[in-house]
Amino acid sequence: MAEESDDRKPLLSKKIDKFFTGLADAWNFVRRFWKEVFLPPYEFKEVIHQCYRIGVESLPLISLTGFIVGIVFTNQSRPSLSEFGATSWLPSLISIAVVRAMGPLVTALIAAGKVGSSIGAEIGSMKVTEQIDAMEVSATNPFKFLVVTRVLATTFMIPILVLYTDFVALMGSFLNVNSNELVSLSTFFFQVFESISFLDIWSSVLKSLLFGFTIGIVGCYKGYHSSKGTEGVGRAANSAVVISMFLIFIEELLVLQVVNAIRTF
Amino acid sequence: MRGENKRSVIVGIFVFLGIAILVAGVMTLGGQQKKFVKAIQLKAVFDDIGGLQPGNNVWFSGVKIGTVRKINFYGDSQVEIEMNVEEEVREFIRKDSKATLSSDGLIGNKIIVIYGGTTLAPPVEDGDRLESVMPLDTDKMMETLQENNKNLVDITNDLKVLTGKLAAGEGIVGAVMTDSTLAENFRAIITNLNRASINSNQMLTDLNKFTSKLNQEGNLFNDLVTDTTMASELRATVASFRSSATNTEELTAKLSEISSKLDDPNNSLGMLLNDPEFAEYLKSTLENTDSATYNLNRGLEALEYTWPFRKGFKRKAKAEEKEGN
Repeated sequence: MAEESDDRKPLLSKKIDKFFTGLADAWNFVRRFWKEVFLPPYEFKEVIHQCYRIGVESLPLISLTGFIVGIVFTNQSRPSLSEFGATSWLPSLISIAVVRAMGPLVTALIAAGKVGSSIGAEIGSMKVTEQIDAMEVSATNPFKFLVVTRVLATTFMIPILVLYTDFVALMGSFLNVNSNELVSLSTFFFQVFESISFLDIWSSVLKSLLFGFTIGIVGCYKGYHSSKGTEGVGRAANSAVVISMFLIFIEELLVLQVVNAIRTF
Repeated sequence: MRGENKRSVIVGIFVFLGIAILVAGVMTLGGQQKKFVKAIQLKAVFDDIGGLQPGNNVWFSGVKIGTVRKINFYGDSQVEIEMNVEEEVREFIRKDSKATLSSDGLIGNKIIVIYGGTTLAPPVEDGDRLESVMPLDTDKMMETLQENNKNLVDITNDLKVLTGKLAAGEGIVGAVMTDSTLAENFRAIITNLNRASINSNQMLTDLNKFTSKLNQEGNLFNDLVTDTTMASELRATVASFRSSATNTEELTAKLSEISSKLDDPNNSLGMLLNDPEFAEYLKSTLENTDSATYNLNRGLEALEYTWPFRKGFKRKAKAEEKEGN
């Protein structure tokens, strides 16, 4: 009885203890993912299925968002540049903004909202309805089938979506620049590639891989650890989105520092 | 099952198109930044590169031909730039070409500009170092501008003093501007100058007429200028004049020789002209001759009245008388 009371006594405080316990659980979850991902059996079909859901089904929404971002950003940047008579720099400005930051960030945020929440809700509902337990009983590895496939799908689909977003956003920007500055497509893309480097492209792709992994792992973690019935499912979906977005911004900041360090090296 | 296959194909197409966008982007970027073309390496050393970075463009005659590859410190405080330049433009860049720093537009990125070079020098080779020329430094420009500003202040101060003196009527110009008598005189001078200019115009008109007359055909001066035959004749005349002058010169020389001989008392004419003793002697001789002639005349007159010559003289007188009639 005395041991039981010692266990219930918080180490620092109830909330802090809960935070660090959650952190340890998350760490174990990620570790388990890296362990399971290389071990057979490989669920290729489920990975393809998740890629379809995460990548292809998200494409219209993300394309539309990217297109609007391209147009809006171009329109908003024009007044500042026209003050210096430098509207010819719009393609360079847009390309730097889209390729380096906005493409990956916008795609990741949209995907976090659409994909992260659906993963969290889906796995959460499976958890509260004890489907995951049933899978374990039927000799199916639920972690491999549910988590590994989804995390792999988000990790590889988000970079592809980012490439689409970059392209569509630049096309949107081109339409705006073309209608205002009468710049041809070839000139526009010449200026676009004039101001970016290989480092920008590779850092964008690597960053997208990281964002995709984050969205997948956070969504799965939150769903896998949901409780308290349907309320828990909603909470899991919600926190999956919020935490994913928060981590995406943190990662953006860290990657930016690393890339800048490489750039100056 | 069929639905799964369809899904797989769509995912494959989706991934393929995404990768195609990536590859197209990489290829375009590589092509634009000349990453995949054969390049040679050129170097240049600058005192100050003003923020130039690896990856900045290299221009030649306004065309992008490469990028800055590496920036190293060199010597005490200089900076060595290594540039990748397209192999195919190598033949146009000569060893005596120069490299300088510039910027892409007024506020654009820093660039390296290669310019100059003569065909006398061979084309550059891999690893060559180009002569670098430092661009105009903004600070130095500002220093010069500051100097100009100071000069401008001095000039305006001088101008202020000058206009003050003018307004006070000091100096000639000031006096002209303020003194009415001087102004009148000045006006008279201007009037005279005006007249003089009218006269000179008239004179020029006359001169024009005169020259037009001279230019008329048949006129001596016009012939002199235009007639080639006359020119050759004149040339021949001048040649004969020259020949005459030569002869005259020879004659003069001979006359000079003769005159020098005349001055010499050792010859007969010289002695005649220069020896006073001989002159005295000749004078006395002539006097004696004169006296002798006089005596001879008297003798001959006496002879006219003497026998046997008397008869002959009478006969001669008669014959002269007959011829007179």
